[in-house]
Amino acid sequence: MEERERKSMKSDSKETAAAASCSSTTSVPEQPKTDSETGDDDALKTDVCSDKFDPLLALYSPSAPPLPFPNIKCFNNVAEYESFLKGGRGRAKPENVEKKRRKAMKGVADPERIERLKNLMVKKPESEEGESSSRATPRRKRQKPQKNVLTRMPLCKGSPLGELYRCVEERIRVKVHIRTFKGLRGVCSGFVVAFDKFWNMAMVDVDETYREPLLGEALYHEKALTISRLIEKLNLQESSGDNEPVKKHEAQKKSNERQPADPKTTPKSSSAQPTKGDGRTAETELSQAVKTTQGKHNVSMKAQGPEKKGPQTYGKVHTRHINQLFIRGENVVLVNPQPL
Amino acid sequence: MESEGAESSASGPAPVEVFSSIRERTIAENSMVILLQGLQGEVTTVDLRNESTARGRVVSVDAFMNVRLADVLYRDRRGQLTQLQDLFVTGRNVRYVHIPDHMDIMKTIQNQLAKIHRVRNFASEGGGRKEYAKKTK
Repeated sequence: MEERERKSMKSDSKETAAAASCSSTTSVPEQPKTDSETGDDDALKTDVCSDKFDPLLALYSPSAPPLPFPNIKCFNNVAEYESFLKGGRGRAKPENVEKKRRKAMKGVADPERIERLKNLMVKKPESEEGESSSRATPRRKRQKPQKNVLTRMPLCKGSPLGELYRCVEERIRVKVHIRTFKGLRGVCSGFVVAFDKFWNMAMVDVDETYREPLLGEALYHEKALTISRLIEKLNLQESSGDNEPVKKHEAQKKSNERQPADPKTTPKSSSAQPTKGDGRTAETELSQAVKTTQGKHNVSMKAQGPEKKGPQTYGKVHTRHINQLFIRGENVVLVNPQPL
Repeated sequence: MESEGAESSASGPAPVEVFSSIRERTIAENSMVILLQGLQGEVTTVDLRNESTARGRVVSVDAFMNVRLADVLYRDRRGQLTQLQDLFVTGRNVRYVHIPDHMDIMKTIQNQLAKIHRVRNFASEGGGRKEYAKKTK
């Protein structure tokens, strides 16, 4: 009973008070003021809303106490009421209530929540949300632009290939040194048009100077070819004209004779050739130093070798002009820009 | 497929080179091999690393620069000439490939790139068989 009272008070105290007063007026009001004390007292004691309400009396009274609210919910015991206050076991549970609220909110945009979720999103550098939502698929494709040979060429800034690209852009004539299976073969001088990371190159207006490699035994005794030696040979060939084999042998002999006599001075003299690049002389020095340490045995053989064979066609230096040439990168030794 | 192939008299029924794999296609488009592939049907000279040269019509070039030549005049290092019907040059044996004078290197590369692009975006550009084509012209 008291629970009931408490509940009703809790739900809306103002109203209950008003209602109680109204309901009690029907039977009670005239009696307390006029009639006997006991009757008045009993009525008050069984009245839920009065101050003198006596729950025991009300429980044991033969007639049910007058209830001011006909639609009131009845509980069988205190425990039931307590559990009801805590939220009950069913839909009144706090979490269920929360769930119901959320369900009601479903579909309705919650600006606060959207804002919160937006903050959680990873920010893209410059893309705006409206744009991305409107055309999502084409954007993804454009984000990864296709690379190819041509688009890759300018991308190697700060590397040797970047320098090569500079030569492409500024149309600098370059000398590309080509190797053979053993040492240097020749030099291609031309303009690079395109290249890739393997140093494959497409060149135009190429002047190639190269030496045909020796065959057979001579191969093993041939000195390593250097640029200066290549140029020297070329010049000798050009100056000698028709009877070049003989001249060349003489020249070779001469150089061979010179070499053991003063190995240090020969590279200097050869470096006096119109090839620039001091790295070349160092290289020459090195190779010649190696040669000289190998002894005069080699030299004498070399001096004899060509004489035995007589007129030879290989080991000869050629020049040719090629308008457009593709060079496989594997054969490139070094690239030397020559701004003119 | 290529008008270019039809023009060059030597090529005759030029086989349409289809890239055998996506991997090869990727290698080709990212390296200068694409230029050599553009030489298909042209008569060129390939200089090999062993000082021999081969002059013939390019049949195909794969991503590893392996070159197939047809109607080849092969000149070995000693200068002996041999006529060969067909020659396969391994990529590693290539030193130079002479590019015919009438070809523009840049244009050839760009043509080849465009060709790859076309193959790649074949479906998106409306090619291929449409299962449920609503609006067909």
